[in-house]
Amino acid sequence: MLKKLYHQFASPKTYIVLVNKMYPYVFYISLCIYTVALIWGLAFAPADYLQGNSFRIMYLHVPASFLSQSLYLAMAIAAAVFLIWKVKLAAYMIKAIAPIGALVTFIALISGSIWGIPTWGTWWQWDARITSTLILFIMYLGLISLHSSFTNFEKADKFISVLVLIGFVNIPIIKKSVDWWSTLHQPASITLTDKPSIDPSMLYPLFFSMIGFSGLIICLVILSSKVQIFNREASKSWVKDNV
Amino acid sequence: MFIIFKLELFKLRKKLRAWLGPILVFLLITISFPLTIELASDDLKNVFYSVLWIASLLTVMVSVEGIFLEDYEDGTLENFSVTNDSLFSMVLMKIFIYWLLIGIPISLLGTFFSISMSGQMSSLNVALPAMLISTYIFINLFSLGNSLSLNKGSVLGALITMPLLFPILILLGKIVLNANFGFEIYNLLLLMLGVLLLIIVFIPFIISFIIRTHLE
Amino acid sequence: MFNFAFNSFNDFIYMDGHGIYVWSVFCIVIVSVISMFMFYKNELKKLKKKHFYE
Repeated sequence: MLKKLYHQFASPKTYIVLVNKMYPYVFYISLCIYTVALIWGLAFAPADYLQGNSFRIMYLHVPASFLSQSLYLAMAIAAAVFLIWKVKLAAYMIKAIAPIGALVTFIALISGSIWGIPTWGTWWQWDARITSTLILFIMYLGLISLHSSFTNFEKADKFISVLVLIGFVNIPIIKKSVDWWSTLHQPASITLTDKPSIDPSMLYPLFFSMIGFSGLIICLVILSSKVQIFNREASKSWVKDNV
Repeated sequence: MFIIFKLELFKLRKKLRAWLGPILVFLLITISFPLTIELASDDLKNVFYSVLWIASLLTVMVSVEGIFLEDYEDGTLENFSVTNDSLFSMVLMKIFIYWLLIGIPISLLGTFFSISMSGQMSSLNVALPAMLISTYIFINLFSLGNSLSLNKGSVLGALITMPLLFPILILLGKIVLNANFGFEIYNLLLLMLGVLLLIIVFIPFIISFIIRTHLE
Repeated sequence: MFNFAFNSFNDFIYMDGHGIYVWSVFCIVIVSVISMFMFYKNELKKLKKKHFYE
């Protein structure tokens, strides 16, 4: 019975039907949550006593950087699934997530460097976390360019999954580098085990903004994966009914 | 395995410009660097390690460009992948030969230059192990990049895997920092040795998978 | 928790001098996300047209 379940989920057709049903709910709910969180964070949260009002960029920067790492993790899982079980849907997902991951990493880098101007006085610094995020951005761009340089799509899928798995070594470096070396970027204020070191009135908009932004990016991933699936499976008969 | 070693050694030794050229490039960079800056300034001694490592990076990138190209075009790679079932050991030996003929001379020359620049023999135990290990890691990573763009022959693959070098460069930078302040560098060298050992095992395996995919 | 943190609307825009940074980041994020949405909706529309007329 379990085999039937995951054989069903490995088919693009079931995926498209499921996603078509879910999409409006995910989109509107996450849009509401994100708007509420942004308005709360930008207008209603009290000003930080050290940084003044520019800490409000946190509500835009933290979800983006968290998502850039999570999207890479999702790509790595999809790459492993593709290489081990040869599920084609996983390869389509890798190709779908890559441009969106690049967008989110770009947002994280830009917002981080603009935030750095009033707080640290400089808009760039070669410390470990920032440089590793730049490497992550370049890896996303490299994935997109590698896939589009091949005409044979099966080979391109295998290469892109190998590259994703090799580049996965970067993610623990990003996550842990603020603990290992004392650098310019501040350490994590929210961990799984300790009490958060940030005031609750600033924390709640942050949570909602993370949930809302993740939901919006998931909607983008859904749209991008639909484009990928329809492009790659254009010759199948079910495409005409569901597109 | 020893037969493959002798075969690859023979192949590379014959192509004189494949291994002598990069050594001369390295010599050129390390000689011209002090010439273009004032010779006796103090800053030069601190910066010289970084110059050595950037020079070895560029040299390895230039030299590893054709590592699989000739074998791909005349069919040796197909031969090995079909009959011998040891594409892994062929790639391993190839990378090892490149390190023997290019990496070790570069490390020796670089150590010689660092001793002459800093004027004391203690830079021997900073520069020599670091360069030996880092040239081997660079050769591995750049050959991985070149195997990705095998049929096109372009440098796209090497450019794509270049971001993977950055952790190694960060480690090397910390070695420079610690060496200049007189701290212990052995823990960082051991970390790099560990990375190297992991890479020696995994990279030929990955490269043989990529080459098999190319040849389908 | 829910009082408006600024005294007037002008204060909200200016934010004691940090307003340029906050609002520029805000604009970049909103513009890029909306343009990605429009790009993908466009692609889907093109695909729909391609398959409808087959």
